[in-house]
Amino acid sequence: MQTPEQMLELAHQVVGRAKELGADEVAAMVSRGSHVTVQRRGGKVETATEATTRGLVVSVLRGDCYSSNSTSDLRPDALDSFLKRCVGATEYLEPDPYRRQPDIELCGRGVSVEQLDQDDPAWAEHTAEARAVQAEAIESRLVGRRSDIISCSSYVADGRSESVQVMSNGFVGVDAGAWFAAGGDMTLEEGDRRPESGAYYGARYLSDLPTPDAIADEIERRVAERLGSKAAPSGTYPMVLANRSAGRILGVLGGPLSGSSLHEHLSCLEGKLGERIGSSVFTLVDDPTIPRGLGSRPWDGDTLRAKPRTIVQNGVLEQYNINVYYGRKLGVEPTSGGRSNWVVPPGDVPTAELLAGLPKAILVTGFLGGNSNGSTGDFSFGIRGLLLEHGQVVGSLSEMNVTGSITDIFQRLVAVGDDPWPWSSVRSPTLIFDDVQFSGT
Amino acid sequence: MPATPSPVVRPLDWFGQFGVDRDAIRRVLSEATAHGADDADLYFEHTESTSVGLSDGAVNRAHTTVDLGVGVRVVIGDQVGYAYTEDLSLESMLRAARTASAIARDSGAKQPQFVEAARDLPDFYPVDRHWSEVDLSVRVPMVRDWEARAFAQDDRVRKVRVNLGDADKHVLLARADGTIVADYRPMTRAVVGVTAADGDLRESGSYNVASRGDLSYYTADRQERLVTRSVERALRAIHAGSPPAGEMPVVLAAGSSGILLHEAIGHGMEADFNRKGTSIYADKLGKRIAPPQVTIVDDATLPGARGSLNVDDEGSATEKTVLVEDGVLRSYLHDRISARHYGVDSTGSGRRESFRHTVLPRMRATYMEPGPHDPSEIIGSVKKGLYCEVFANGAVQIGAGDFSFYVRHGRLIEDGKLTEPVKDVNLIGFGPKVLEAIEMVGNDLEIDEGGWTCGKDGQGVPVSQGMPTVKVGSLSVGGGR
Repeated sequence: MQTPEQMLELAHQVVGRAKELGADEVAAMVSRGSHVTVQRRGGKVETATEATTRGLVVSVLRGDCYSSNSTSDLRPDALDSFLKRCVGATEYLEPDPYRRQPDIELCGRGVSVEQLDQDDPAWAEHTAEARAVQAEAIESRLVGRRSDIISCSSYVADGRSESVQVMSNGFVGVDAGAWFAAGGDMTLEEGDRRPESGAYYGARYLSDLPTPDAIADEIERRVAERLGSKAAPSGTYPMVLANRSAGRILGVLGGPLSGSSLHEHLSCLEGKLGERIGSSVFTLVDDPTIPRGLGSRPWDGDTLRAKPRTIVQNGVLEQYNINVYYGRKLGVEPTSGGRSNWVVPPGDVPTAELLAGLPKAILVTGFLGGNSNGSTGDFSFGIRGLLLEHGQVVGSLSEMNVTGSITDIFQRLVAVGDDPWPWSSVRSPTLIFDDVQFSGT
Repeated sequence: MPATPSPVVRPLDWFGQFGVDRDAIRRVLSEATAHGADDADLYFEHTESTSVGLSDGAVNRAHTTVDLGVGVRVVIGDQVGYAYTEDLSLESMLRAARTASAIARDSGAKQPQFVEAARDLPDFYPVDRHWSEVDLSVRVPMVRDWEARAFAQDDRVRKVRVNLGDADKHVLLARADGTIVADYRPMTRAVVGVTAADGDLRESGSYNVASRGDLSYYTADRQERLVTRSVERALRAIHAGSPPAGEMPVVLAAGSSGILLHEAIGHGMEADFNRKGTSIYADKLGKRIAPPQVTIVDDATLPGARGSLNVDDEGSATEKTVLVEDGVLRSYLHDRISARHYGVDSTGSGRRESFRHTVLPRMRATYMEPGPHDPSEIIGSVKKGLYCEVFANGAVQIGAGDFSFYVRHGRLIEDGKLTEPVKDVNLIGFGPKVLEAIEMVGNDLEIDEGGWTCGKDGQGVPVSQGMPTVKVGSLSVGGGR
């Protein structure tokens, strides 16, 4: 299975064989990939991992009975036994007609290969020597930077994956993409504590990654912020949510927006379409078409064509995330299940200017544990952060929780910064909320 | 499909069907150590997992996963070269071995001598039947029965979701010194989720059980618990509120409260963090870190426990490791790399998620030994505080020492009595300070039967945890009022 053509041939064979065995509908996805990671510490490579992988995912429907299956054992005999088992499993199950494949008219590539631009040609030229140089460059810029370093390490990784999908409704899709990551971490000496922090960046193109100097600067800045951390008194404070950490709070929306929780009547957003769930400065777009976007994709998990979708417009809920299966169960048109890139459009006012206008606020730079409840919308997370006065750092915070409800928190969003975070599939600028409950001392 | 196995699996028996024989092992290990090695191993794994699911009144989905592959590891001091392949052909395994061996180039290490030695293992998870011998026709009625019982239990139950999953995992460890060991590792996990409504209020609750066991694990009592507890939790959540915010005394119920140990101290005991000096406990061996009533262990030998292991994932014997004895830190959790670094024996804590991952020191079943107090005495000692019963997840920062855990269900304690139910609150604390603040330890140790999975460096491994009722003098509670 060395080429996409061979992968396609295998996927077609699997669909054909499963139909011979009695399946009415079959979907097969064959994938293969390569990845490398190099981690350095103490002036040498600590771990180097390299692998090529492969796999097959098959879902079958026979008499409306459904099974989904995956295997990494692609030897011909093993594969045939596996397919017999996949089809055979349906014998014991009850029908679920909602599982039928979508209308082929809805399926296909929603954005061109050229526009997605996910497959950096530099990946094929990226050698072991180049990775070693890259990892060493980051580590060498961390070592000796301060006198209180206990440990520091650097990390580089890259990979490329290819997949082909063949469905009995006629869909045939081929996709490929590369990715690169780089970062590191640092631990400092501080009495009873050993403050630690790190910075990791992901990109579709090697040349889009920050320079080793920029990575090392950011790691040191983040760990230095952790020195002298302690809890502030419990109470309500304005919350400044750092751009890179916004995904955790935005992510609380994911469950209640999903077709499954709407179907189970376990969504605090049920019945809220067209209603205000946030302030007028809150807009959220799911955009799978962003060039080089980490969450970009040509089609969604049901192979529906990718397209940008506005979920919240100026505070008003416009769309849920409903896949084909739950669309049928709920009797509505599917939008798309899951999420691709989540984008909060940036504001016009520089973030620093917004912060300068806050007499006292908590800047949340990271989270530690916590969870949320999709049916009530309530969340409670541990946080790391900084105490700000007029935008100036006056203290480092730890041992604190932030608590609220997703049905309420975005109503408190008063300003959106101008600094979207590009290194994630959640592209949000810094967000500023009024009167948020923090617990500390 | 592989042939029906005998209950006792000898080395190579299982992987012979994939063309793996002694000669292949010898050649691949020889290639892996061609540039020299302090240590090297091949980790073969074959896992077949099955799950069936019920929703909207029908058992209407099944999922099967087959995972097969080998990981090749070459160790030079504390440096690791790792490669894996899902293709067990000799050519592919030799390629992986060459890749992994690159780390040893110019290291000056010698090639180890391969002297074959198979080893007998203890059996902490004896089973009569492998899961591959249990037909779906056996699983489906079980799932359906749990649903029916949940609906019958209370007319406020609106929906029931059930999932029953299991796996047969076979591993074969071949080490560069010639040791060959094989282990069969069963796993099963069942979860019942219930949605209940009272007027306009609607909530969900769930309960799950997990074990390295076979079908006999599902005793009548356990099935009853699975159903009744999930219904109880959904009903309780409907009228539960949020506790006050701030620092207060906290009583942790027996059982899954072991998550506190897992986060507050367990990860900090993993010797890789200590070897690198990044754990807050790195210079605390032999020192008092908790009051004398506190003894904490990490145990791979509990019969049938989800976290138990007959042998660890680099071929070391497993054990019950005492981490903290009467308040004094006694041992870290070691894999071979850290054991060599500290000049001690491995504690059998070297684990990996699968053949796709290299070995790290990890927890197995972490719990606190029981103390002298009656649970009612502990609750009675608190004037105003929080009683934590059911936990969802936790997290820790190893160096900073901060940890947190999320309480799904609890109660307020007022004047020594359990009162109003509360839910969905995160608790956060500084590990060493919280250990020092353990004021009372109950006599009611319970190992939680739930299916916990621990995450570290992107690897998830099954673990168990347990706790007697424990009082912590003060913790920060992320309440909403």
